[in-house]
Amino acid sequence: MRSFRSLSARLTVQFALLFAVAMLGVTAALSTLIAGSASRKVESQLQSSGAVYDRLWQSRARELQNAAQLLSRDFGFRAAVATGDQATIQSALGNAAARLHVRTAFIVTADGKVSAIGASLPRKRALELWEPLDAGQLTGVTVLDGKPRQLVAAPIMAPTLIGWVVFAADVDKREMRSLERLSAIPLNAAVLAFSNGRWGEGSGSMLPLSRDSASLAQRHVGSSAAFEMNLGRKTSIALAKPLPAFGEGESAILLLAYPKEEALADARKLQLALAGMTLLGLLIVAFATWRAAGKITQPLARLDDAAGRLAQGEHVQVKVRGTDELARLATSFNEMVGKIVEREQRITQLAFNDVLTGLPNRTMFQQQLDHLFRASEGNGGMFALHCLDLDQFKVINDTLGHPAGDALLVEAGNRVQQAARGHFVARLGGDEFVVLQTIGDDRDAIDRLAREILSTMAQPVGIDGNECVPSTSIGIAIAPQDGAGSETLLRNADLALYRAKEAGRGTYAFFEESLNERAQQRRQLESDLRLAIERNEFELHYQPLFDLEQNRICSFEALLRWNHPTRGMVSPADFVPVAEDTGLIVPIGAWVVREACGRAATWPDDIRIAVNASAVQFHRGALHETILRALADTGLEPGRLEVEITESIFLEGGEATLRLLHSLRSLGVRIALDDFGTGYSSLSYLQSFPFDKLKIDRSFIQNLLTRDGASAIVRAITELAHALNIETTAEGVEETAQLVELRSHGCSSVQGFLFAEPMTAGDVEQLFQRGGDVETAQNVA
Amino acid sequence: MVRFTFLVLALVSATPLEAAPLTVRVVDPSGRPVRDAVVTLDPAAATRAPRPGGRFVVSQKDLQFHPFLTIVPVGADVSFPNFDPTKHHVYSFSSAKRFELKLFAKDQSRTVHFEKPGVIALGCNIHDGMSAFIFVTDTAWTARTNAQGVAAFGNAPNTAGRVTVWHPYLRAPGGSVEQNVGPGQRNLSFSVRLRPPPSMPMADY
Repeated sequence: MRSFRSLSARLTVQFALLFAVAMLGVTAALSTLIAGSASRKVESQLQSSGAVYDRLWQSRARELQNAAQLLSRDFGFRAAVATGDQATIQSALGNAAARLHVRTAFIVTADGKVSAIGASLPRKRALELWEPLDAGQLTGVTVLDGKPRQLVAAPIMAPTLIGWVVFAADVDKREMRSLERLSAIPLNAAVLAFSNGRWGEGSGSMLPLSRDSASLAQRHVGSSAAFEMNLGRKTSIALAKPLPAFGEGESAILLLAYPKEEALADARKLQLALAGMTLLGLLIVAFATWRAAGKITQPLARLDDAAGRLAQGEHVQVKVRGTDELARLATSFNEMVGKIVEREQRITQLAFNDVLTGLPNRTMFQQQLDHLFRASEGNGGMFALHCLDLDQFKVINDTLGHPAGDALLVEAGNRVQQAARGHFVARLGGDEFVVLQTIGDDRDAIDRLAREILSTMAQPVGIDGNECVPSTSIGIAIAPQDGAGSETLLRNADLALYRAKEAGRGTYAFFEESLNERAQQRRQLESDLRLAIERNEFELHYQPLFDLEQNRICSFEALLRWNHPTRGMVSPADFVPVAEDTGLIVPIGAWVVREACGRAATWPDDIRIAVNASAVQFHRGALHETILRALADTGLEPGRLEVEITESIFLEGGEATLRLLHSLRSLGVRIALDDFGTGYSSLSYLQSFPFDKLKIDRSFIQNLLTRDGASAIVRAITELAHALNIETTAEGVEETAQLVELRSHGCSSVQGFLFAEPMTAGDVEQLFQRGGDVETAQNVA
Repeated sequence: MVRFTFLVLALVSATPLEAAPLTVRVVDPSGRPVRDAVVTLDPAAATRAPRPGGRFVVSQKDLQFHPFLTIVPVGADVSFPNFDPTKHHVYSFSSAKRFELKLFAKDQSRTVHFEKPGVIALGCNIHDGMSAFIFVTDTAWTARTNAQGVAAFGNAPNTAGRVTVWHPYLRAPGGSVEQNVGPGQRNLSFSVRLRPPPSMPMADY
């Protein structure tokens, strides 16, 4: 059953089999009933034939007996027997036998003599008859001359018993025929007699009988039930009736047989008709089941087909018919298909769209970009990639919280979409958005779109009740000229974005090849920097600071120099930003502190050393430990070390920055605020920390004599510092006039080419040995 | 073919030739005594003829012969008086004496002379139910069993011989059985089977 591929076929076969079993069962039962009934009918017919034969037998026996008695009582006959008058005996017997149609008749005398006519009767056989005769047996079947005979005897009394007159009637074919004629059914009859260990057969149409059949008949004697036996080549239904046997040890059977074929002919017809009906019924059942199964399975087949098509991605719907379970299944299937479609869309959306803004995500952007590249290869068209970045997004996220940041991103997404209608917009992550703009010949369209985006983005936005003006930078790369592949194009757009940010935010920049070169140089510089520490390529130069009150060199500022093996001296302005970005500033700064302290320790005690500390060092560099170790290692008195910081260290860190400054101060290290006057120049710093020195930015000094107000600013700074008891140092002093002016403003010290350029440690040694430069400075002052 | 059992009780006598009583007992298979059996002794050594002749009567009365059994010596004359109002046709087909006394009427008597030993079965051709037997013997040692089934020979010679038992209904060819008796054997026992007395008219089969 498992091998069926179709439910309909299986149902058909199963039901047909079920019906077949039931119908075959009923048919078999009916058939058995019919056969049984027919058998019983035959049996009863056989029994009634047996009864007829009984009556025939008795009537014949009575006839013979009457004749025998008549003869036996005839005085003359008795006299003849008593006197042994053979001639008389023979004639009397012959006369009676002829009258009775009996072929064999004989006399057995009481003393064992025999006179017979007809069958030759040996004396021995006759004497065997003596005993039953003497025992009073007067009738019965025995075997004479190899044939069963019906014996009827009558005693001859003269007046005592002198013998018996015996008639032996043949149980012959004729007699059996007459019996067969009397029967209602066309039966075969035979009499079997058993004597002297042998079967003497009678006659009948069924003869001769085999030994087995005879034994079978003998076994069924006395039972009124019919049995089956083989006669010739045919099976017959037979009945065996016992007949009275004459002698002891003899037995006789009347065997009635009815060929089974004929007996059951009517039953066979009925059975055939029944079989035909059964077959017809089976066909009808099979057909009906097939039709019914078809009706049941048709909707299933449709569902099966639909499910197969669904599996191949087709969005199918099944027709719903009726209201049964299958209809409900079809309805559920349709709903399921709908939900699968929905889910597929959702999955696609999740895979290709940004959850927060609903814009396409990086994956989809990548596909779109690849698609555009392929298209441009085909038609030679160009497209621009705009990379957007919200300025200061990190600050907003940190200060207002992530929900506010997310709200800003959603708003930004909307605005970009609005501004770049008709173009592909995606969010790559964080505050990074991209716009893909297909362009024709009109290159200005790129600028227009960039400006449109910038202006749209610059509209104030209310977030959590705070009004915020987002500012955006855009980097633009144009394909295919700025990059033949999506990776390159994206990187170049990023470089352009970097440049736009450099250019001052809230603007846009195009990629130029130089950007790429710069980026490469920067990467080279970065790897060179890592090697530089190991190769000891750094060296410190020292620029003196001249104390205007004491008129002597009071301090040196340690300045880092990189002696590149191939590029020569590299300016700190070139490599320090890279070192800061990569964090390499931390080990470099530590080296600087150690080197400077070690050098300063060899100098006169009244000479201080100033070291610049970057914001990165401040926040990530364990600066406190570095300085502590350098002081301990070199034995430099902490008061001789001055750490120069810029305002930028206050941009992050807050309290932690102040704690670090205080801890440095507690060591005795001096803290100077470098480049004062530029940047934010918040006076609150001065309030929050007691700096030891303010270094006035060189831009003020350069403009000191040429621009109005510069002098006033410098004066204000020096006066402010004086009021706060803070020293001041003017940087970049190159002219004597400037020095004069600064001296008039009460500046504590000056630094610049007017006095000395940065010098090597060896020059500083020589300076101290000569002591001349100090004087020179004094001369200048 | 003829089956009977006999039991021999032998008592050995001291003097074989002396006359000594010989007792013969006849029973049926169930041990009941058989009366009216005729026992004859035929000693090997000696024979003794009975007194010959004599007159005997077998009458017919009430459609029956009387007596049923008569033992007569050889040479006896037996008369057959008819005391019935009917006629009788007395006959015998027995080989010892074949005769017919036809239709003699009341109070008529006929006499038949029996000169040969043997059994004569008497019948009446008119009345089948009438039956009687005359045992003609040529030896003095002939006796009939009494009600106890015993026949005794008071002076039978004590020698070997043969004892024959006859009874009208005895089932054996000839209606008799015999046994040899040894010298000194004084007791003999016969077990015989009897057929039932014929009843007239004869039953159907």
